[in-house]
Amino acid sequence: MHVIIINGSPRVQNLSNTDKIISRLVKGMKTEDKGLTTELYSISDRKQWEEARGAFNKNTEILIAIPLYVECIPGLLLEFLDTLEKKNGDTRISFVLQSGFAEASQLRCGEEYLKKLPGLLGCTYGGTLIKGDNFSYRFLGEEQTEKPLSAYEAMGASYIRNKGFDSDEARAFSGPEYFGAGMRIFLGIIFATAAPLGFKMMAKGLGCTKSLKDRPYL
Amino acid sequence: MILIINTTDDRTVSEKIRSELASKGAEFDIVEASEMKIKNCIGCNYCWLKTPGICTVKDDHEIILKKMIKSEQVWIISDVTLDFVTPLAKNIVDRTIPLATMNLKMSGKQMRHVLRYKTKGYDFGLIIRGEADMEYLHRWSERVAINFGGKSRGAFGTEDIKEAVSCM
Repeated sequence: MHVIIINGSPRVQNLSNTDKIISRLVKGMKTEDKGLTTELYSISDRKQWEEARGAFNKNTEILIAIPLYVECIPGLLLEFLDTLEKKNGDTRISFVLQSGFAEASQLRCGEEYLKKLPGLLGCTYGGTLIKGDNFSYRFLGEEQTEKPLSAYEAMGASYIRNKGFDSDEARAFSGPEYFGAGMRIFLGIIFATAAPLGFKMMAKGLGCTKSLKDRPYL
Repeated sequence: MILIINTTDDRTVSEKIRSELASKGAEFDIVEASEMKIKNCIGCNYCWLKTPGICTVKDDHEIILKKMIKSEQVWIISDVTLDFVTPLAKNIVDRTIPLATMNLKMSGKQMRHVLRYKTKGYDFGLIIRGEADMEYLHRWSERVAINFGGKSRGAFGTEDIKEAVSCM
């Protein structure tokens, strides 16, 4: 199979969590399809747009990986998609929709949009792999990111087997829609205690000198 | 304060809203975003982690952010792109994240970012010029509002401006 992969993140590729997810998906795809070939285009780099459009026109298997931006796709990706010419129905578009928020319910509004998007581009819908809790990869070491990222490899293999993400195993990968009451209380305590310390460490690493609660416009 | 951000180049929509709101005696501000230079969010997260509250991308969006923190309601007027709002309208919304902080809390059944300036939050509404999937835009508006600690005031077509203003 030849798959055109579009990284829909506006963030530069070397810091893109979505890019890290894509790498693991491709690794998994290759375990299932030894002859697999891919082309990767990053929307964050406008210089790649024209070539990405050409690849979209010529090929029939498209995977778009997207970070959730305020409940839907990023404005920059919307701008790119709006430049595509409508196809004739021979092309399947599947999606990965990932977020920082951990619960699957946070991604459903975005998923709803992705369900109708391929039709608007004259393509068919190949399902969406939904997964939260991906915020920190950029800040963490390999030993901490290995476990969550490696889980995407199985989904890459699943993508090949099921010709997309419209499958029970892809749906199961999303995890809980909501956390249970006990977990919510636990998370509430973590968010008030340990989490801000972790965020402060991340901020310090970026050279931040202000409180994360700073109100610059007051 | 009711903030109206017109992302279309159609001034007649904002003029209609202006006269309706003026006759209501409401306090409001209308921004013509199509005349402004507003780029996309680049996902750097610096507004949460490096320069808290301040966007790295330097352009006219800062004018809108400063107006937003004084508003209880934010309305966006948008044309339709791929059955959704336009890239400009979405970029404006994407770049509101400096209004929230990196910190999290549980809010109802879901996690949410703690707001930077407000405890009461911002209500959100949409006015759409052109044919679109209004049911989806209602849903999206509700979800956007949840993230900003407010409620959705609804999604309306430009033919229903009176109704939209009655919800302001």
